[in-house]
Amino acid sequence: MENNAELQRFLEQEKQKAMVSEMVGKLTSVCWDKCITGTPGSKFSSSESTCLTNCAQRYMDMSMMIMKRFQSMQ
Amino acid sequence: MDPFGSSAPSSGASSGPSADAMMEQIKTQLAQAYAKEFLETVGSKCFTKCITKPGTSISGSESSCISRCIDRYIEATGIISRSLFSSPH
Repeated sequence: MENNAELQRFLEQEKQKAMVSEMVGKLTSVCWDKCITGTPGSKFSSSESTCLTNCAQRYMDMSMMIMKRFQSMQ
Repeated sequence: MDPFGSSAPSSGASSGPSADAMMEQIKTQLAQAYAKEFLETVGSKCFTKCITKPGTSISGSESSCISRCIDRYIEATGIISRSLFSSPH
């Protein structure tokens, strides 16, 4: 009984982690394609790393917009 | 074989895998799945970037491009997760 609750909590936690990991993986892939246009150097230029940061944050903003847009359609 | 089993809750009987063993197994399988996905992604990204014209073998410049690409992809993953979770936004 108690083990079962522990297992539930564990699964819930892992589900959260999987969601986060999927999100990070997806954003990295999308933003890599957008921001890293040349061949990868031995260090990111500051414009590349700024682009990556902005890209991730704007993607989240956009997801919010899309969600709101769809909510308002219902 | 099936980590989640399909057995009905057995009343009090402590047979079958313990919750701890199950959690360990799930952790291992998840770690393997995460690693596999990451490797596949890095492979596809760096192949696109570094092997633009596949020759008869991987050249020296291609292989150094690949190792830089791997390092940068890992770094990019870090930048992305930091920008999501420590944004003053």
